[in-house]
Amino acid sequence: MSAEPILRLRGVGRRFGGLHAVRAVDLDVAPGERRAILGPNGAGKTTLFNVIAGDLPPSSGHVELFGGDVTLLPARRRATLGLARTYQQSRLFLGLSVEDNIYLAIRGVSGGRLRPVILPGDRELRRRARQAAGRAAIDGKLPELVGSLSHGEHRQVALAMALATEPTVLMLDEPASGLSRGERQLLTELLLALDPAITLLLIEHDMDIALAVAERVTMMHDGRVIVEGTPAEIRANELVHELYLGSRYTDE
Amino acid sequence: MSGARSAKTLVERAIGLAVLVVAAIGPVLFSDYWVNTILTQTFLLGIAAASLIFLSAYGGMVSLAQTALYGIAGFAVGNMVTQGETKGLNLGWDPTLSLVLAIALTTALGLLFGLVASRSAGIYFLMITLTFAVIGNYFFGQVTLVSGFSGISGIDRYTPGFVGDVVAHPNRLYYVALIVALAVYGLIRYVRRAPFGLALQGVRDEPVRMSSLGYNVALHRTLAFGFGAFIASLAGVLYVWWNGQVDPQTIGLQATIDLLVVAVIGGLGRIEGAWLGAFAFILINNYVRGVELPVVGGSFNTIIGLIFLAVVVLSPGGLMGLWERVAQGRLGGRGGGSPRVAADPAGPAPGIGSR
Amino acid sequence: MRFTLRSWKLVLPLATLVAVAIAASVSLASSGGSGEIRIAIMTDCKGAFGFGYEPDIGGAQAALAQYAGAKPKNPKKPSAGITGGKIGGKSIRIVGYGCGNDTADLAIKETKRLMEQKKADVMIGPLSGDEGVAVANYAKTHPSKTFIIGTAGSQDPTLQIAPKNVFRYHGDGAQWNAGIGEIAYKKLGWRKAAIIMDDYSFGWTSAAGMIADFCSVGGQITKRVFPPLNTTDYASYIRQLPRPNQVDGYFWVVGGTGTGSSLKAFEQAYGPVKADQFIGNLFFAFLGNFKEVAPRLVGAYVGGFGTGPGLKTPGAKSYESIMKKWYPGLNGGNYADGFVYNYYNAAWATVRGLQAAKGNVAKLAASMPRTNRSGYEITDKGTVKLDANRQAIQDQYPLQIVKGADGNPSLTVAGFVPNVSQAFGGLFKKSSPPPGRNQPSCKRVKTPWQGKIKAVRNGVVTNQVIK
Repeated sequence: MSAEPILRLRGVGRRFGGLHAVRAVDLDVAPGERRAILGPNGAGKTTLFNVIAGDLPPSSGHVELFGGDVTLLPARRRATLGLARTYQQSRLFLGLSVEDNIYLAIRGVSGGRLRPVILPGDRELRRRARQAAGRAAIDGKLPELVGSLSHGEHRQVALAMALATEPTVLMLDEPASGLSRGERQLLTELLLALDPAITLLLIEHDMDIALAVAERVTMMHDGRVIVEGTPAEIRANELVHELYLGSRYTDE
Repeated sequence: MSGARSAKTLVERAIGLAVLVVAAIGPVLFSDYWVNTILTQTFLLGIAAASLIFLSAYGGMVSLAQTALYGIAGFAVGNMVTQGETKGLNLGWDPTLSLVLAIALTTALGLLFGLVASRSAGIYFLMITLTFAVIGNYFFGQVTLVSGFSGISGIDRYTPGFVGDVVAHPNRLYYVALIVALAVYGLIRYVRRAPFGLALQGVRDEPVRMSSLGYNVALHRTLAFGFGAFIASLAGVLYVWWNGQVDPQTIGLQATIDLLVVAVIGGLGRIEGAWLGAFAFILINNYVRGVELPVVGGSFNTIIGLIFLAVVVLSPGGLMGLWERVAQGRLGGRGGGSPRVAADPAGPAPGIGSR
Repeated sequence: MRFTLRSWKLVLPLATLVAVAIAASVSLASSGGSGEIRIAIMTDCKGAFGFGYEPDIGGAQAALAQYAGAKPKNPKKPSAGITGGKIGGKSIRIVGYGCGNDTADLAIKETKRLMEQKKADVMIGPLSGDEGVAVANYAKTHPSKTFIIGTAGSQDPTLQIAPKNVFRYHGDGAQWNAGIGEIAYKKLGWRKAAIIMDDYSFGWTSAAGMIADFCSVGGQITKRVFPPLNTTDYASYIRQLPRPNQVDGYFWVVGGTGTGSSLKAFEQAYGPVKADQFIGNLFFAFLGNFKEVAPRLVGAYVGGFGTGPGLKTPGAKSYESIMKKWYPGLNGGNYADGFVYNYYNAAWATVRGLQAAKGNVAKLAASMPRTNRSGYEITDKGTVKLDANRQAIQDQYPLQIVKGADGNPSLTVAGFVPNVSQAFGGLFKKSSPPPGRNQPSCKRVKTPWQGKIKAVRNGVVTNQVIK
C-alpha cells in the first residue's frame, strides 16, 4: 500500500432516481493488488464497477485511474488506457466465433478499429487471441460460434477477452457464477497464476474463490463501504458474518 | 461434422459458380426482355437490398432510408448530367464527374443521417430512418428546382464513356450492373471479415461491451450507415441509367416498403438474400399480376403481401434462411461440431445446434 | 429433422411458383406468332387518375368492338378483355393492360413490360402528361412499335420529341384551353390577369394554353405563381398573387384536392371569390373537388377537354350510343368524359390504321389515318386532322359553371373554338422550350381561331361569334 494507488475513488455516489445504489465510496487500490469486493445482492458492487469502467457516470465524486482523473472519460477511452472488465451476464458477441470475440477485445485496445481492410498485422492479433484462448482453456472451441457454447464456456471466453487485452487493471464481475465445481477450481488456479503486475478487482459471491485470491477485501452494504481489510480480518469480522456470510450460507 | 459443413459450403459454391456462369452468358441464353429488364433490374435492386441487408445482418440496424438514399444518388446524377430539359437543374456536367459527385454526395448524406440515427436502436432506429425516407420523398416532391412531381427524365442518354450508350446497347448496362453487383457482394463479404466489419458485428451483438472494449459505438454505426449509403448510391445511379427517369414516386413509401419486402423475402441474415429476394420480387411482379385469387381478388400487392406473410411466418430468415434449414437437414448443421445442445436461446440463427 | 419437414412444406409452393413463372415466360415467348395483331392498352390504375382504369379501357375497347368486330367479355368490366375481332385477316389480341400511377417512372416500366415481355406491336396509351413524355422517349428508341397516346396533355411528345411512331388524336393540355383567354378578354373585359399553376408539366402546359390565348388578343399576365403539387396549405402562394383590385382576374390551374384548398385559402385572404374574376382549366370541371366554393363560381368559365358534354350534334349522339351499346353504364354513364372519349378515339384511329395497313403492324405507323372522325367535331364534316408532327388539330369546347336543374352547380358547353392546332399560331414550335414556369412568355401572336369562337347555347352551336 506504499505505492501511489492505481485506482482512487473519492466520494463516489450513484443514484437511480430516488435509489442510492452507491453512496460516498472512497477506495484506493495499489498497483498489482488483488482486491475482492464483497457484499450481499443489491449492495452496489456492480454499479461501482460500472462507474469505475465508465459505463455509468457517477452522480457525485470522482474517479482517478493511473494517476489521472477519468471521471468524465468515456468507457472506451478507459479501455484503451489499460482497464478491462467482464460482466455478470457475459455480454459476448453471440454471432461471432470464439476467436473473433477475443480478437475484437485485442483490436479494441490496439487501434485500427475502423479499418475496412485486412492487413498482415491482423495475423499477429489473431495469434495473441488464440494464445489468450489457451490461457482461459477455451482454445478447443476457437472456430465455434459463441452463441452455440455453454454458459461455462461463455465465462471462459469472457475471461480470455479480458486477459487478451493485457490490461493493467482487470475487473471481473462474478466470474464463477454458474460454473461447475471443476470449472471453479480451474478459475481459481487461473486467477492465482495471473501476472503479478496486473491489478485485479473481483466481485465474487463464492467466498472460497474470493478469499483465496484476494489480498484485500472491501465489504459493501447498501451502497456504502462498511469494512475493508485482509481476508483474515474479514473472516473474523462479526458485522460481515451478520450481514453477508451468514445470510449467504443460509441461502445455500 | 466438419465434413458436413464443408458439404454445405461446397454445394453453395457450386450453385454460386453456376449462377455466375449463367449470368455471364445471360444475353445468349435469355430473351432481351429477360436480360434488359428482369435480370438487369434484379442486379440493381439487389444492390439496394444488399445495402439494407448489410446494415441489418452485420449492424443490427433495419434501415428504411436506403430507398431515399438511392433516390438521392439518382436525382443527383439526373440534375448534373441532363441539359435542355424542362425539369431539374440541367447542369450538363460530364457524366463521369457527375457519377463520382453523386456517390460522394449520397455517402456524405448517409453519414449525416447515420450521425442522427446511430444513437437509437430497434424500433426507434426504424422510425428515424422512415422519417428520412419520408423527408426524401417530400423534398423531391416539393422542391421543384431539383425535381418536383414530374421528376427528371432522359437521364439514360448521358452515361460515362466507359459505360457507353445504354439506350442503343442495353446489354452494356446488364454487364455493368452485373459487375457492380458482384463487386458489392465481394466488398461486403470482405468488409465483414475486416476489423471494421467484425467490430460492426460486435456492435450489433453487444454495444455496451464494445464500448468497454475501447470502441466508439456511435461512430461505428455512423460509418456503417455511410457505407450502406455508398452501396445504395451505386444502385441509384444504375437505376437512372436503366430507367432513364427518376421522380419522387421512385422513392415513395411504396418503394421503401418494396425494398424492405425484397430484403425480407431474400433473408435479412445473409447478403446473398438481396439478389435472391430481388429476383423473386421482380418475377412475381412480372408474372403473377394477372392471377385472380378467390375471395380476396387479385392484385400484385395482395399476392406479394401474402408471400411476405408466408415468409415471415414460416421462414423468418427468408429464402436464404430456408436454404440454411434445407442444407442443415440434408447436409448437416452449420458449425455443428459441438456435441452439446445450445443452452442460450438467443442464438443468432434459427435452428443452430438443434438436432 | 423437425426443420427439414417444415422447410419442404415451404419449398414446394415456392418451387411451384417459380415453375409457373418460368412456364409462363416460355409460353408467352413462344406465342408471338405473326398471325395476330398484339395490342396493349396502357392507362392508370393507381394514383390520382386510377379511378379511370376501367372506363379508359372501355373507351378503347368500345372502338375495337364497333369497328373491328371484337366483343367485350364482360360489358360491366372492360378489363376482363375482348374476344374475336379481326383486321386484314389477322385476329386482334389484347396482350395486357398497363397499370400506371401517373408517374413517368412506372410508365416506363409498364411500357417495357407490355412491349418487350408481352410483345405488343401497338400501344394505346398512356394517360397522363409525364407518362406521355416518358413513352415518347421510349418510342424514339423503338421505331418498330406504334404508340397512339390515350390522353396525355403534355406538349413534348408531339412537338419537341415527336417520334414518327407516336400519334395523338386529341389536343394537348394547352390546346384544351384554346379560346378561354379570348373569352376572358372579350366577354369579361380582362386586361391584366395573374395565373396560379401546379408546378409540374401538366400544370405548365395547361397554363401555357391560357397564357398564349390571353396574350394573343393583347392581355397581360402580371404574375405567375407555382405551388408544388400536393401542397396542403396554399396561404403563402395566395399571398404571392396580386390582390383582387390589382388584376382583372385569375387563371386557376390547381388540380386534385388542391383546387378546393387553394380557393378556400384565397377566400380567407381576400374574401369571397367573384365568378367573373376566375377562370379555371379543366380542373374546374371537377366540381366535387371544391364543393364549398363552387356555388360562388357559378358563371365562371372553364377550359375544355376536347369534348362537349351535353352537346346535341349527330356525332356526339352517335358516339354516346356506341358507348352505351358495348359498355352500358360505363363511367356512371358519363361517356363525354375526356379520358373515355380520347381512348375511344385513339383506338378507333388504330383500327383504321390497321385496316389501311391490311393488318400488317410493320406498316402501321405509315398507315395511320391523317384524319379521324370523332363524335364531337362539327366543322370540316366532323374530322380531326393530324399535323406534320402527328398531332391532332381539334375543335375545343370552353365550358361554364352554371346552376343545374337541381340547383347545384353543373357544367355546360359555353363556346366552340374551331380547328385548334398545337402551335397557337406559331408561338410553340419544335425549337421553343416546352411549357415551363416562365414559358411561354406573354406575346401577342395571333391564333388561327381568333375571332372565330362561337357561342354555344343549350348544346347547340350558334352562329354568334364571341366579341
